[in-house]
Amino acid sequence: MSTGHTHDDHDHDHGHEHPAAPMVDEITDYEILEIAVRELAIEHGLFTAEDHRRFTEWAESVGPINGSRLVAKAWTDPAFKALVLEDGVKACKEGLGLDWAEPTGFGTPSDYTNFVVLENTPTLHHIIVCTLCSCYPRPILGMSPEWYRTTNYRRRLVRWPREVLAEFGLIVPPEVEIRVEDSNQKCRFMVLPVRPEGTENWTEEQLTAIVTRDCMIGVALPRPGRTADVHPIHKARRPVESSQRAAE
Amino acid sequence: MSATPDVDYSRITLLETIRRQGKEWDTLAPRYGVTNPNPPWKTSLVGMCDCLATGGSLPALDRRKAEDELGNAVYSEVPAPERELLALVHTMLSRGLVTEGELAARMRTVRSRLEVV
Repeated sequence: MSTGHTHDDHDHDHGHEHPAAPMVDEITDYEILEIAVRELAIEHGLFTAEDHRRFTEWAESVGPINGSRLVAKAWTDPAFKALVLEDGVKACKEGLGLDWAEPTGFGTPSDYTNFVVLENTPTLHHIIVCTLCSCYPRPILGMSPEWYRTTNYRRRLVRWPREVLAEFGLIVPPEVEIRVEDSNQKCRFMVLPVRPEGTENWTEEQLTAIVTRDCMIGVALPRPGRTADVHPIHKARRPVESSQRAAE
Repeated sequence: MSATPDVDYSRITLLETIRRQGKEWDTLAPRYGVTNPNPPWKTSLVGMCDCLATGGSLPALDRRKAEDELGNAVYSEVPAPERELLALVHTMLSRGLVTEGELAARMRTVRSRLEVV
């Protein structure tokens, strides 16, 4: 039985109007291009429409809220925290119902089912990066932010982590060790931050709200009142060199 | 860093025509008061990249390396979601997975289909 409903079968009075959300009232060539190349790829047998629907639905379903819930649960349940640190994939499945094998039964081609959660302590701070490309724990954090994909972040973080963190507004005291974990084709990482002071007696829901995406990458720290990530994107001063640069 | 095999960094007329229109989401969305951070085709693009990698016609690492280099060499001024799309299509054209002629023709077909009232 369907649990959905339409406006036509409402039997209650909202007492308010439903203003339509604004929409872009034009079809750009970017939108056309995406459809056209996808249709041709399907016709050429590169993949099927069913495959595409499955992967796109999966991409729509993932986001950092799962990571936030994992952290909040680990902060409030010592046994679960132990499982998180021992076997991240198993903890996701048992604690969140999140299966890293989705959507194919063996994950996606970009998300290998080996997931390690890195525990921060008062004297140790982790950050994740992918120096090779942009490997990211998509099943639990969703799509990577644009800055995570830039060569600027990827190259500079491994050389000057304290300075790069400072650009995100995170000043790490010198007595705190910093470890940069380089994601790769075989393993994904996520940071388990230290539970901040002032959150004693908070519910999991309250804790979840302050564990933002950046806290789980390691470029921010959770704190009461901070519930969103906002920061600029810096372009590389010396971009990637190519021997086949296009002529202007 | 060496250039990715099978990717030609020459500018492609069809993609340059699209790029020059300046219809990227970060300029278009505010014009219409839309607050979605990404264009409606963004997750479909993600799905397409995963499909191409799964099928083996364009491995994820090759695509990302080409995206990095094309993003710097050809599409550096284009914002992220559109840059990813242009780089992907550029790479597919370079590898012969689709041709520029058939793509241009299909774009005309798709537009006429979507604009039917």
